[in-house]
Amino acid sequence: MACHIVRERLAARPRLLTLRSRPLRIALAGQPNVGKSVVFGHLTGRYATVSNYPGTTVSVTTGRSLIGAEVCDVIDTPGVNTLEGAVSEDERITREALEGDRSDLIVQVADARNVRRALMLTSQIAAFDKPMVLALNMVDEALARGIVVDAPALEAALGVPVVEMVAVEGRGLPELRDALARATRPHVPALQRAGDRAVWAHELTTRVRRVSALSLARIPEALARATRQPATGLPILVAVLYALYLFVGVFGAQTLVRLLEDDVFGRGVNPAATWLAFRLVPVPWVRDFLVGQYGLVTMGLTYSIAIVLPVVATFFLIFGFLEDSGYIPRLAVFGDRLFRVMGLNGKAVLPMVLGLGCDTMATMTTRILGTPKERLIATLLLALGVPCSAQLATIMGILGGISFAALGTLFGVVVGQMILVGWLASRVLKGERSEFILELPPIRWPRPGNLLTKTRLRVWWYLGEAVPLFLAGTVLLFALDRAGLLGVIAAAGRPIVTNLLGLPESASQIFVMGFLRRDYGAAGLFELARSGQLTGVQAVVALTVMTLFVPCVANFLMMVRERGLKTGLAILGVVTPVALLTGAGLNYVLHACGIRF
Amino acid sequence: MRVAFDSDRVQPLSSLAEGASGEVAEVVARASGRADRLLSFGVTPGARITVLQTFPGIVFLCDQTELAVERGVAADVLVRLRGTRTWCR
Repeated sequence: MACHIVRERLAARPRLLTLRSRPLRIALAGQPNVGKSVVFGHLTGRYATVSNYPGTTVSVTTGRSLIGAEVCDVIDTPGVNTLEGAVSEDERITREALEGDRSDLIVQVADARNVRRALMLTSQIAAFDKPMVLALNMVDEALARGIVVDAPALEAALGVPVVEMVAVEGRGLPELRDALARATRPHVPALQRAGDRAVWAHELTTRVRRVSALSLARIPEALARATRQPATGLPILVAVLYALYLFVGVFGAQTLVRLLEDDVFGRGVNPAATWLAFRLVPVPWVRDFLVGQYGLVTMGLTYSIAIVLPVVATFFLIFGFLEDSGYIPRLAVFGDRLFRVMGLNGKAVLPMVLGLGCDTMATMTTRILGTPKERLIATLLLALGVPCSAQLATIMGILGGISFAALGTLFGVVVGQMILVGWLASRVLKGERSEFILELPPIRWPRPGNLLTKTRLRVWWYLGEAVPLFLAGTVLLFALDRAGLLGVIAAAGRPIVTNLLGLPESASQIFVMGFLRRDYGAAGLFELARSGQLTGVQAVVALTVMTLFVPCVANFLMMVRERGLKTGLAILGVVTPVALLTGAGLNYVLHACGIRF
Repeated sequence: MRVAFDSDRVQPLSSLAEGASGEVAEVVARASGRADRLLSFGVTPGARITVLQTFPGIVFLCDQTELAVERGVAADVLVRLRGTRTWCR
């Protein structure tokens, strides 16, 4: 056996030095949340989002890496528990990435604590009959839990190089690079049935792994327990939401916004720009275009940089912390029963909570759900009710300043609508829901480095994606205003905006802005509210409608990409009337009851 | 000599109390794909199981994996409670 391996290795060695018509393709595969994206980041120097929950990666990412003397393509794939039978969308994507000539070499990244499960996957990956390397990641966590894996014995049994790693610290990476040159086809019995593979994996594991009862991870384990037990978990949830409110709604949306908008823009940038414009630009309409009521600087930049940037930045930071701690999937334990009412299961907590970061990305995350029906309902609910980071923060910023009751009313109505629409959708739509089986990741202390990188990249992404749209929106508003169409729109919207929703006429242009980006509209409302043009009831109604209203353009395009044009339009067709009717109903009820906030 | 098991002590995971532990005796394939799904998470015959929580959903530790499942799924995992192995001649 051993001699056989040596011969294979010698035969394999020159492989990396041969000339190729295209770079060697190395695919990273493995169970969810084992650190594939971390390894990918180290090999390629590209950052793939790293979090502590299964389903962070739902699409294939490719990067270049210099391995030995050769440039290779490294492919990061979504995590998979199985590659055969009824697989979900992300699992299918991985299977396709491993098949045929889309990859030449497979690195299976495995959680060293969980060799048994990893081996079950190994025997499936072996069926692709490609050279592979097994990377046992997180050996430090395994050791802390008293688990020791005999890597040489495993290497001998599988006939492929086995490397021990702590990828987040970069430990084991040189060894992995060396091992890539020695990659061989695994010698694993060809097993067809899942049951047989389980038996094989179980036997091999008992030979190569020792588990002692020792555990050094006391505090994270206690936290892991506290966050999923109802008696402690619900108070913790309330505390987390309150911390989120304090950090984003108060510190971000009030303190930072005041600083940026009033001081930096109000007293610095805008007066300076206006002064410059009057000095340098002789044409009045161009001056207006830059610094007028709908000016690029005075509106576009002020909204995007002074109002929305501080709230999304604070939100991304605290959200990244929650993602990396492993807390979010634990909410699924509480949410399961509620989500079942809506034709989903607890796993849908992941896309829903991620939607608070960005509905567009979350729409892509619906791939982790088991059935087409679930993916459709989750997409619909994301479009309907889940406010994205910028919206959420402006909501907190505006309503937090009014009263807790106002905030509670909005969330109560929105959640109620989601449950109602989800329940109806689960009745109307054909298909089934899948069963709730979710792996809960361990609670970990987030790594500051990853947290900062992730937040920085997300803020850059926001600047790159949202700011141009804010500017484009401002140009559009400017053009509409010049052409006298803004008045026409306001007049056309009056029956709905003023009569039905009871909002001031100026609110109709905010809904035009909201079509473009919801946070742009929310920023407009923020301005109205701060200048005292909205009563408490009007603020609640306007924000409720804005939250339930059509998603932003990017989210719509993502819905079309993931679900098709027909479904995308159908979702819009459901969401718009629901939003307006809910707003009208809320306006009526609040007035009838004489509630003022 | 053969190994036999006290069949009375094999119980569905859904009926176990918090803190109970044992090993998986069998995964019954009642719903299509369910058994395969559980197998892929490492819930296989012989795997050690500890029940961590029973409400609102069932959370258990199987080998080194913490899994949350709904009751219907847990009903299909039959667990042999620890210390009930009997040796017969």
